[in-house]
Amino acid sequence: MRQSRLVQASLFVFLAAMLTGCGSHVPLEDLTISLILGVDLDEKNNLVISESSPVFNQDAKQNIESYQLKAETVRDSRKYFDALATGEVTAAKIQVLLIGKRVLEHEDWFPVLDTVYRNPTFSLNTRVVVVDGPVSDVMFYVPPDKPQMPLHLKEVIDKNIDRTRAVISTLQVLHRQMYESGMTPSLSVIKKEKDVEFTGVVLLDKKGKYVDTIDAQNSAFLLILRDEKKQELTLTIPMTSLGEGGGIFHKNQISFDVSRVKTDVKTSYNKGKFDFKYQIAMTVNVAERLFPAGRVNQKELEKMIEKELKNRLEDMVKKFQANKIDPIGLGIHARAYQYEQYKKVKPHWDEAFAESNIDVSVDVRIKSMGAVN
Amino acid sequence: MKMAKPTLTLPQYIFLIHGVQMGVGVLTLPRETAEAAGTDGWIGIVLSWVLATAASLIIIQVMKNYPKGTILDLLRHYFGKWIGIAGTILFSLYFGIMATVIFIREALFIQAWILPRTEVYILIALLSIPSYLIVRKNITILGRYSVLVFFMTVWMMIFFIIPLKQAQWLHLLPLLKEGWQPILDSVGTALFSFGGFEIAFFLYPFLQKKEKASMGIVIANTLTLFIYLIITIGAFVFFSPDEITIYNEPSIVMLKILEFRFIERLEIVFFAFYLFVISVTVLPLMYMTVYCTSQLAGEENHRRHLIWLLIIAFVYVVLVPPTFDQNKLLQRLIEQAGMVLAFAFPLCIWAYLLILRNIKRRGN
Repeated sequence: MRQSRLVQASLFVFLAAMLTGCGSHVPLEDLTISLILGVDLDEKNNLVISESSPVFNQDAKQNIESYQLKAETVRDSRKYFDALATGEVTAAKIQVLLIGKRVLEHEDWFPVLDTVYRNPTFSLNTRVVVVDGPVSDVMFYVPPDKPQMPLHLKEVIDKNIDRTRAVISTLQVLHRQMYESGMTPSLSVIKKEKDVEFTGVVLLDKKGKYVDTIDAQNSAFLLILRDEKKQELTLTIPMTSLGEGGGIFHKNQISFDVSRVKTDVKTSYNKGKFDFKYQIAMTVNVAERLFPAGRVNQKELEKMIEKELKNRLEDMVKKFQANKIDPIGLGIHARAYQYEQYKKVKPHWDEAFAESNIDVSVDVRIKSMGAVN
Repeated sequence: MKMAKPTLTLPQYIFLIHGVQMGVGVLTLPRETAEAAGTDGWIGIVLSWVLATAASLIIIQVMKNYPKGTILDLLRHYFGKWIGIAGTILFSLYFGIMATVIFIREALFIQAWILPRTEVYILIALLSIPSYLIVRKNITILGRYSVLVFFMTVWMMIFFIIPLKQAQWLHLLPLLKEGWQPILDSVGTALFSFGGFEIAFFLYPFLQKKEKASMGIVIANTLTLFIYLIITIGAFVFFSPDEITIYNEPSIVMLKILEFRFIERLEIVFFAFYLFVISVTVLPLMYMTVYCTSQLAGEENHRRHLIWLLIIAFVYVVLVPPTFDQNKLLQRLIEQAGMVLAFAFPLCIWAYLLILRNIKRRGN
């Protein structure tokens, strides 16, 4: 039995010496946890990477540190950050990835983000947000009346997603949209004026180049077309057929809360063109009405809203077609229902999309007029 | 020292077979089937299940001819000593290489996803200890372990349902995009992930209720099919069909988007649990290896062989530091050998035994 004890003892020593993971531990205070990563171009089109991380130290006057520097690639930037920051810079907790609009003005910028997808330590839930203007404006802005910038930004984006105004644009979704041949990518956009504010959605072409921006209300229409209503959706539109839009208190406005929306697309192919027929059924509750009750009855009001929504949706779709971008993802429908035809146009779906017939019909049912008549 | 002969209950038998089938294939299965047949790949998985179940049933039919022993005893009984020895060597080589390849893959996965700064040989050394503790005993212990691990890890399937809130079900349409040819191609890859039922050759004599053997193996195959389908179809609707082939392990990337208020980076936790799933593949394979070699050496106890197997695996990773590509290449090769052992071999023996019985009957 002596031999087996010897084996046990040597095994124990061996294991103790090898105790894995304990040699390279890092306490939390010694980490510089990037919460925002920024990618931008400066005036001379050099790649500029920035990051912002909280400081866990009582002696520091500011509780957040931000750096910006020139680097060849995102991964390359880490060595410069390590040279600047107190702790080891880690990317595992990045909440928001800011991309400068200047970057999007060049096509094929997407490979810059390669490391984010290749390196398993990155989180794919990071929100990708475009900055209309220099990224550094947002990165170095310390709002006196708000929580730390990373948390504030994330909450602002998430809230607008819940209210069906911002598109979901995590790294995962961006990757899917960049590779999807039947759809073009779209990202939420923020702007630094006096404060940092959410302004809408930017639409990119299939190579990722910037094409157009739509405001928050139109983003809601985009999401209706994509059938992606989240928790809440409120629309405020003027009833143009009631006239007199002017005056101080826009008296033709109506707001309604869409409690249910169902978007159906019928896909067909005739005479060399794709045919998409949208049928959008909505149940709404009126939340605000500035014109008096006697003007129209409920049936007329429903018809008016339908007409107004139809015009706006069709205008938006026409604009997409003119710009040859398909942020709605109609290509996915074309692939599913007209595969043979789609296969032929797959490499240049944007062209086929621009030529297709898209018809929108809206069916509105008012469920309630609210607490007052 | 004579012990009671170890036996297997039906659940132990089912989960042993199912466990060996699951293995590492499930991480890459969505990509591999999508490479062959796009989002029709899941049909290939169903077809593979049909083939695997048919082959499994043939194995049971073969084993009914010699219920007292394993396939090694059967070979010796019907074909003589030398073919018996040759068969034992072949099976031990097959199981040995398979076990080592997946064992190393397990360490590589841990290194890539959880412990990037730890050397592979250290992980192998550490994994060897629990492996030794479980495999040194008999098949009953392994059976119990498989049952335990199944129920310990089956909840993980819930996490494959959650990402479906981002799903785009239109990706699955139309069915049969390019006809049947790509789907048949995908059967070629999907079939590998059903490999493992051939351990029934060795489990059959230990099974308590032999009349349930066929039903048990069909249940094991079907369980595997369901899990594969949930994960594969989940990945197909979650990723764009143009994108899915880019990810090496789509099944894990899918989990990367899970996020709760109280926990982020859930895929790390998931992966730690997934190691148990890999272990129920590796450990029975190791057991089969040392079972064969100790039969060959005529030894009752397989512990010494097990220690040697683990040492060989350790020395191998020290001398030839493994990489994913090299490991996958080896796996591909050994799986092809496995196809012969799991499909062609039982069919041939079955045919031979049928002919033999007919000749005997006619002789009478």
